[in-house]
Amino acid sequence: MSTQPLEFYFSFRSPYSYLAAPRAFALPERYAVDLTFRGVIPMAMRGQSVPREKGLHTLRDVAREARRLDMPFGPVHDPIGDGAIRCLLVGEHAIDMGREREFVLTASRGIWAEAIDVASDAGLRAVCERSGLGWDACTAALEDPALRARVDANTAALAELGHWGVPVFVFAGELFWGQDRIEDLEATLRGAGLDLPT
Amino acid sequence: MSASPAELLARRVAPSAVIALSRVTWPARAGAGARRRLGRRGRVELFFAFDDPCSAIAVLDLAGRLSGREVRLLLRPVVRRGIRADPAVELKRRYAIGDARRLGRRTGLALARSEPLAADDVAFLAAWVAAAPQGPALQRFCVAALGHLWLETAGPVERADYGRLWRAHLGSSPPATGGPRGVRRNERLMRRRRPYDTPAAWVHGQWFFAHDRLAQIAERLDDLGWTATP
Repeated sequence: MSTQPLEFYFSFRSPYSYLAAPRAFALPERYAVDLTFRGVIPMAMRGQSVPREKGLHTLRDVAREARRLDMPFGPVHDPIGDGAIRCLLVGEHAIDMGREREFVLTASRGIWAEAIDVASDAGLRAVCERSGLGWDACTAALEDPALRARVDANTAALAELGHWGVPVFVFAGELFWGQDRIEDLEATLRGAGLDLPT
Repeated sequence: MSASPAELLARRVAPSAVIALSRVTWPARAGAGARRRLGRRGRVELFFAFDDPCSAIAVLDLAGRLSGREVRLLLRPVVRRGIRADPAVELKRRYAIGDARRLGRRTGLALARSEPLAADDVAFLAAWVAAAPQGPALQRFCVAALGHLWLETAGPVERADYGRLWRAHLGSSPPATGGPRGVRRNERLMRRRRPYDTPAAWVHGQWFFAHDRLAQIAERLDDLGWTATP
């Protein structure tokens, strides 16, 4: 069976992206899809306002959803700013090393369930090494303009799709926004005959 | 470089405290128990908009899901909704159509419309509902009106159709006055409760986006002791 492309737009600053990530990376095990991870710059760093009410609701809603999904949530350390950008750059390096799944899951869990400050070298180094990435290569990635260009291109691609938030999945031109829309995405994948034999 | 105390407060202490406090449920459970001892039912306040397809999904589903529980569904229509000065408002309204279509499929509902409705075109429905007393007849009207609006028709909104539905379910002509004031009251109440968009269900101190947290609303009611009886 030939595989179909599936894009996964993700932000390290989005706790909903954290909830989506384990199920997103497991999709190629159950469907004939080629998952491409696309890390994007957080909404609040793209000039979009996030009112206080939305921020508070997100934390409370994610706490309920995390319980439903049996995932840890809290204590957290908001990575907005340098922390988010550093994770995005290391995320691109992790793609080149074939370890994006390990890095994204480890870093997002560190941010949203272990209060790791990924803006600090100690915090980022811990998640890099737990993901099987060498620290020297990761520090080089932080200064690599080619990796920064890839992050900017991902962010621009999300805007070109006419979308604003994350996580977003794109399959055959159709957008699925939200960790709670993965079941709709899976219904579409099944409808396309892409489910793999178990 | 380590974070400053102010940064630690904003980035770690405050959000972690919000999460931890959200898990404290005993005050709401105690309040619900006291309500029951006084013979009062639970309450779900649903802030919704007729121009919002996800509100249609929420009203149609919640109306059925709450039956069998000692819970009152209070329907609070609004017209103004969303994040103030949101640059993505038009994108969100268009995306909501496809999203509601997929959500509806989960429960066997098929959306007929493929274009957003203008809020002004259906503001009269919000005004009628806001001016009427809460109760089963109003609930039946809302279910029928939202079903007609989003599941049965795709063209212009015909006010006469909804007048007929109103008379069929409430036995009178639609209210001529008081509606817009009631809608503004609902919008103020929604802001006070903190939801910033529809459909939002306020369930004894917590709010949920009602179209995609239906199971969690039921779980909240179970937790508060308003379980469904067969």
